[in-house]
Amino acid sequence: MKKFLIVGSLLVCQFAFAEVAVIVHPSNNNALDQATVAKIFLGREKSFADGNSAMPLALADAMPASGAFNDAVLKKSASQLKAYWSKLVFTGKGTPPKEISSDAEMLQLVATNPSVVGYIDASKVDASVKVALKF
Amino acid sequence: MKSKTFSRKSLRWLGMAMLPALLPAAVHADITLNGFASIRGTSVSSDGGLEPFPGFQEGELSFNPESLFALQAQADIGEGLTATIQLFGEGRNDFEVDARWAYLSYQLSDRHRLSAGRFANPIFHQSEYEKVGYAHNFSRLPKAVYIDFEFSTIEGIALDSQYNIGDYNLSTKVLFGGWSGEAFSAVTNNFVDFGMDNIISANAAFAGDWWQVFGGVFGAEIDGASIDSSTVFPLAAAGINAARNTGATAAQIDMFRSRIGWDGKDAFYWFSGFAIDHNNWLLDFEFVDYVVKDSTDATNQSWYVALGRRFDNVVVTVHTEDYAQSPDHAFLNGVTHPALLATGRGINNAFGQREFDGVGLSVRYDFHPSAALKVDYFSGTDTRAAVGDYKLMSFGIDLVF
Repeated sequence: MKKFLIVGSLLVCQFAFAEVAVIVHPSNNNALDQATVAKIFLGREKSFADGNSAMPLALADAMPASGAFNDAVLKKSASQLKAYWSKLVFTGKGTPPKEISSDAEMLQLVATNPSVVGYIDASKVDASVKVALKF
Repeated sequence: MKSKTFSRKSLRWLGMAMLPALLPAAVHADITLNGFASIRGTSVSSDGGLEPFPGFQEGELSFNPESLFALQAQADIGEGLTATIQLFGEGRNDFEVDARWAYLSYQLSDRHRLSAGRFANPIFHQSEYEKVGYAHNFSRLPKAVYIDFEFSTIEGIALDSQYNIGDYNLSTKVLFGGWSGEAFSAVTNNFVDFGMDNIISANAAFAGDWWQVFGGVFGAEIDGASIDSSTVFPLAAAGINAARNTGATAAQIDMFRSRIGWDGKDAFYWFSGFAIDHNNWLLDFEFVDYVVKDSTDATNQSWYVALGRRFDNVVVTVHTEDYAQSPDHAFLNGVTHPALLATGRGINNAFGQREFDGVGLSVRYDFHPSAALKVDYFSGTDTRAAVGDYKLMSFGIDLVF
């Protein structure tokens, strides 16, 4: 029993402290802070500072980095976020970021499109993308 | 009856208008499907089945009145152009599906989007998503403010804008449109033909991370010949006869009829309020004021305030609401005959007779990423003798997909 508790605690700690990286195309030189990223992912900002359009991509709810990103950057739980987007989707005022179901797909989409901004578990980042922000 | 004819005409017209847009979309672009639904059982202790709780039977559990289903399709045609249609059915209408919304939108810039067609009328702050139960924490938004206006969907043109001002966000909407259908008369407890022409509306919400203040206005010219002939003038008939028999002139009676009638008069609505969501405490307040000006309509001044606490995936909310009307006889200024004055005041008082207030407790449990279980208790008092004190208990599931 004790072993399970210790393993469980370690897992919780690992998720709690796993770093999430906000990633962009290598050619994207815009400085992104947490507030700007939040605005982009909440549909309140549609362009980067240089004027180029910003297309946010989110990880699916089942991915651990998704919950960490929602909590830390958007300050909302998955349900709160869904309620927030419900107000926009069903009034024609916005559409939520498309959901990506794997880190590999997220990396590939960010690496091939200068408009895309996404996020993944920081340990999964490779040289094909640029890290704009880590938390 | 008229509203159904209108609805089908609109559907055909909008269907034809949107077909060219949707067909290429099906070929060249993604169509995004979303939807929402509510399945809710409600028991009410008072009989009458009167608005705003139609369809309920005293002491019985009713699922029809507040269950609904909607499916929305949005075709992204490219270059900022989208076509949206929302099919909507409610239990209280036997889930008869109607094209509640059907509109085209064009993203003019990052900040501005223009829409034209049939869409929600932002009468008050949450009117546009009033039917999307998942979007709020109540089983139903407080009826004192969200009383199920028939003109919640209109046809017209709207401009949505959004601005970032430092760390704050300002969203605005202006629209022009019209509506024709039926409206509920609390005087006769029946629906009558009704319309609104030249609707002009503007609203704004200014928000920070955890707070929001909002307000808006909405004006329209009343197409009220039917309510005049079916409700207002019949109510005045005996008084007018009495006045005629006691010396009132034809000119005096004509002026009186023009004063009490609604047709061609201006309706004016406004709302304001705030919302706070901070450290898992939630506080919402909204005040609304509306009237058909210079008529027998009584000014409505209603509000609600709600305090909620979020415990992980459970939200507990208590609220109180008040639906109040203020008869004002100023519209009779210049009417001098005593019988006409008494009749006008009596009708104004009749339009202002119905008031209600109450307190409610709502519990929301997000048991699934896209679904919430809600349980709700409400205790209220309605001034109509057929309703009086009443209690509502409801439970249900709201979901989005």
